[in-house]
Amino acid sequence: MNTSSLSEHEFHGQLADQSNRRTSRWIWIPFFLCALATIGLFFVPAFIIRPFRYQAPRALFVAMALRQYAPLVTLIAGIACFVLAFALWKTVGPWRRALLVLILLPVTFSAVMARQNYFEWMFHPIAGPQFLAQSESKLDPKEMIMAVRFASDARAYPISQMAYHHVLNDVVGGVPIVATY
Amino acid sequence: MWTRTVNGRVLHFYLAGINNQNFLMRDKETGTWWQQITGKAIYGPLQGATLELVLSDELTFGEWRTEFTNGLVLAPVAKYTKEYEPNWEPEVAKLPVVISFPGTELKSRDVVVGLTINGAARAYPWETLAKQSPVVDHVNGTPLLLVLGPDGKSFRVFVSRIDARDAEFFLQGEDPAETSAEKKPWALVDATTASQWNFQGCATSGPAQGKCLDRIPALKDYWFDWRNYHPDTTVYKR
Repeated sequence: MNTSSLSEHEFHGQLADQSNRRTSRWIWIPFFLCALATIGLFFVPAFIIRPFRYQAPRALFVAMALRQYAPLVTLIAGIACFVLAFALWKTVGPWRRALLVLILLPVTFSAVMARQNYFEWMFHPIAGPQFLAQSESKLDPKEMIMAVRFASDARAYPISQMAYHHVLNDVVGGVPIVATY
Repeated sequence: MWTRTVNGRVLHFYLAGINNQNFLMRDKETGTWWQQITGKAIYGPLQGATLELVLSDELTFGEWRTEFTNGLVLAPVAKYTKEYEPNWEPEVAKLPVVISFPGTELKSRDVVVGLTINGAARAYPWETLAKQSPVVDHVNGTPLLLVLGPDGKSFRVFVSRIDARDAEFFLQGEDPAETSAEKKPWALVDATTASQWNFQGCATSGPAQGKCLDRIPALKDYWFDWRNYHPDTTVYKR
């Protein structure tokens, strides 16, 4: 009687395990998909828009489109990844838990990076441009500058500085302009 | 250089990427992607829009300060002064290129001055300009005067027309009829009125005094970049 009731208990336990595994299989799939989407949304455009590499027009288009939607989609997919991982955590053993963590790391990294402009880490922007009267400037007379003038307002942007910052938003003679180099 | 008002809205741009070594920028307001060299919105809500080109110059600081005594100079940002490369030109020239146009007239890293007149693009090799300045040319029926400044580094392009008539210019002191004994200050002289013109394109003496030539926007660029965005460009030869 005792033996039989134990085996019945075991039997029910096995059934529950099987059904858990079946359920968890259906959670793993969306988990992998969310992870793939989050990671891809950062790495695919980052791979396409590499300096000193050829950008084919169609690839560039894909990169810009992915970058455009990456902040929102990586947020949703990233959160979904964590929710699904939490659901899976209780049903799996230590190895699979390690796998979950291993996947969540690049997911988190990608979701963060999709919000970062790492081009501005390489070439810092000028937050609030400061200007000097030309008599105060220590530029060498032979240095090249980009020059612009509106009415009596004349500006010089040294190319040595612009070749680093690349973009400068300014207002000259009341006209908002962007100097690019 | 571009104005940054689009459809009545002032945009703020930032560096956002690179497209075959010509950078991409985005605006904070709409997130649209813009190509630096063309000023065109290539992706995003404002796709299809084009920024308005601002007439600008590439001059030496020495030339600029003689012309604009009240001008302001962008101050270096102390944090980044180590990043500024005073010798940027030869440094950039060493970098590899990712697109090239074999079989075209010039090498990828040859420097050109490029301009467009009513859709017709022409590139002037810097070496040729340096040797021949002032250069008189016609593009799409417009007579042009391309000239390097007294420093040999600054350049400007003008419509070579005085009072709606095509004009020829030469550099004072380069006329073989003149004696080379006296070194005259830098000035252009037009063949029609023999007036003297400064590097800003304005007549400083002679019958044309007070008149100024119209300016043409031109870009100093590498051949590969210019050719990439102006596939039908011609190259000036003489």
